[in-house]
Amino acid sequence: MNALAPPRVSGPGGTGRPRPRSRPPLSWRRRVLVTLGGVGLFATVASWWYLEFSPAVLLDGTDAVARLVGRMLPPVVDDPGRTVDLVVETLLMALLGTVIATVLSVPLAFLAARNTTPHPVVQAAARGVITFCRAVPDLVFAIVLVRAMGIGVLAGVLALALHSVGMLGKLFADAIEEIDEGPREAVRSTGAGRLAVLVSGVVPQVVPSWIGTFVYRVDINLRISVVLGFVGAGGIGFALQSSLRSLSYDAALGMVLAILAVLAAMEVASVGVRHLLLQPSARHPRRDRAARWIFGAGLLLATGFAFAWLRIDPLTMVTSAPDVVAAAMRLVPPDFGLVGGQLWEAVLQTLAIGVLATAGGIVMSIPLGLLAARTVSPHPVLAWAARGLMLAVRSVPELILAVVFVAAVGLGPVAGVCALGIGSIGFLGKLVADAAEEIDLGPVEAVRAVGGGWWQVLFSAVLPQVMPSLIGSSLYLLDVNIRHSTVLGIVGAGGVGFLLYEAVRTLNFEFAGAIILIVFVIVYVIERLSGWIRAQV
Amino acid sequence: MSAPPATAVTTRGLVKRFGTTTAVDGVDLEVRTGELVVLLGLSGSGKSTLLRCLNGLHPVTAGEVVVDTVAVHRARPAELRRLRTDVGFVFQQFNLIGRLTCLENVLIGALGRVRGPRYGLLTWSARHKREALAHLDRIGLADQADQRADTLSGGQQQRVALARTLMQGPRLLLADEPVASLDPENAGTVMDLLLRVCREDRLTVVCTLHQVDLALGWAHRLVGLRGGRKVLDRTADGVSRAEVMEVYRRLETATGMAVA
Repeated sequence: MNALAPPRVSGPGGTGRPRPRSRPPLSWRRRVLVTLGGVGLFATVASWWYLEFSPAVLLDGTDAVARLVGRMLPPVVDDPGRTVDLVVETLLMALLGTVIATVLSVPLAFLAARNTTPHPVVQAAARGVITFCRAVPDLVFAIVLVRAMGIGVLAGVLALALHSVGMLGKLFADAIEEIDEGPREAVRSTGAGRLAVLVSGVVPQVVPSWIGTFVYRVDINLRISVVLGFVGAGGIGFALQSSLRSLSYDAALGMVLAILAVLAAMEVASVGVRHLLLQPSARHPRRDRAARWIFGAGLLLATGFAFAWLRIDPLTMVTSAPDVVAAAMRLVPPDFGLVGGQLWEAVLQTLAIGVLATAGGIVMSIPLGLLAARTVSPHPVLAWAARGLMLAVRSVPELILAVVFVAAVGLGPVAGVCALGIGSIGFLGKLVADAAEEIDLGPVEAVRAVGGGWWQVLFSAVLPQVMPSLIGSSLYLLDVNIRHSTVLGIVGAGGVGFLLYEAVRTLNFEFAGAIILIVFVIVYVIERLSGWIRAQV
Repeated sequence: MSAPPATAVTTRGLVKRFGTTTAVDGVDLEVRTGELVVLLGLSGSGKSTLLRCLNGLHPVTAGEVVVDTVAVHRARPAELRRLRTDVGFVFQQFNLIGRLTCLENVLIGALGRVRGPRYGLLTWSARHKREALAHLDRIGLADQADQRADTLSGGQQQRVALARTLMQGPRLLLADEPVASLDPENAGTVMDLLLRVCREDRLTVVCTLHQVDLALGWAHRLVGLRGGRKVLDRTADGVSRAEVMEVYRRLETATGMAVA
């Protein structure tokens, strides 16, 4: 050893210098986190036990999957003209739903943002509406609206719009709360009116963030609109479901491939749009302005085209409001007694599916996400492969995965867990990879400078920095998975969704109301809880 | 470890290119064991790159680098990692992990001599923790051991980073603008501490600095870089401030001409 011995430190029994501790003092926050970790672990094990999840089932399932894949190949497109029509319809539904949601969300966001709301009570009410829209799953809106206004695209578009308000309204309001107050004050100092201040002082600051959110939401809604047809709300989902019902799996795969092509194209397009609109280059201000105009005009045209193609009279948006309200009124008063024990069991199953799928998703996503991060990955080719895999998984809607797993492992919650767990890779894996690419590279260099190898860089420089966002994203994933697991029952993959679907089909609206209320409470509680935990990390 | 050779660092015709830019352009440098060498020069003159070539954080493009007895320019990754355990590096931006405690950050310095990855205090042995605490005590921050690193001031953070380096038990210390992100008062404190520690431990030091006065105050030798080339190499005794300032001034005119 070389000159290590620090001169001023005495040995054991020294001069009252602080003693090293085997662990840091348990602060309140740390205690909370440790407890929550324990609770999470316990919930996972309990869910595992409750669902009687066994790896043997999966192994047995591989044969079934192989047979299923055998029957899917080669994929066929029965009626190319109709398939193209349906794909276009699905695409336009997603676009229109997002546009309508945006129109609804902008005023709501101004009412819900702390710094633009006219009154705290209004703010609380607006936030409440937004949260409600988010906590009721899209397919639940669709089921109810299909009942209220008949089978067809209108119900689907409105369901997309209403559920999207939950995300758009929140993110729009968050963007407003983060603005720089200076420009706003400057506009006010010119004597401008209230509305003028908002339009000139606030909107210019939030538009980039809003556009990013909008493009992202179109992407999400496209995935959702693919499965809306499962409950009769228009788009390609209905045709997909009928070919699955009639066991013509090759036709189903043909349709899924058509959908995947559109989703992949959309992903590329949204990256392009975001790049063009949100990263203005100093060198081509004219090109940027032209891009903005083309985007705006294109969006307007596409919206008009969507109304025409889907044969929706824009006025129905207003005239159908009473129908929607009437449908909502039939859901109250909620009736919890109807199925009794069966209901609570289904609710418990929904929770267990969400928890177990999230745990599995975390276990699979962390290594995959780290491999996909350029800063960590041992080789660029590996990083691209991992990114590609996650992208592919992300573009398959959970409900379609659930259909595949139901075919493979049979009806029941195990199929739901597998579908959501695999689906989680696309979501959490990407977030892990992004977080690992955004870390401060200084500590990485520092660990390398002390002679640390790849594993040590990973554990001592990367993971400690990624950890907060990892915890946050995992909780968000739990949120999403529980929301999804409430609708899996529609295709027989367990949970409360089956009861809900049956209740609406048999016109048992008060019971449906009870289920929706329970779903809302669960999703709301989980969301609040995960938000609170994220704030502690 | 064997007895240290008389020369701690040797470079011959060291060249480092990033794409088409040449950051270091044929530098010959020799640092004797126990010597304190300061590299001077404006930002972009290649000082930081040169330092990172010495411990292999940047692979060299051409030329030779010998540190201790290791030929860095042709060392295999495992050899490089072994070398780095003996070479301390102090960064301008400290490179601490803000959400870890000071003690955890100091422990990172021991990664080179343990096997396998570590995460969290529980994965370190009591001996390592005692040692880390002793180093924190030495730089005067033992009381802050359990605090998150990002709650400390810049000067304190750099001292923690110094403790992390000491944790390695280095024989050679490379310091990259250790006080450039600090206010003058903190810069003085940190620099004094760095100097004292290096003297007490008889470390060889190669340090880049912006502050000419600080450099004149404590360096044995001054080396000036300009555009990746060595333009000054003098012992600190008898060198005048004006001579040193030439390194900067000539660069200014050179840049001016290049722009014009």
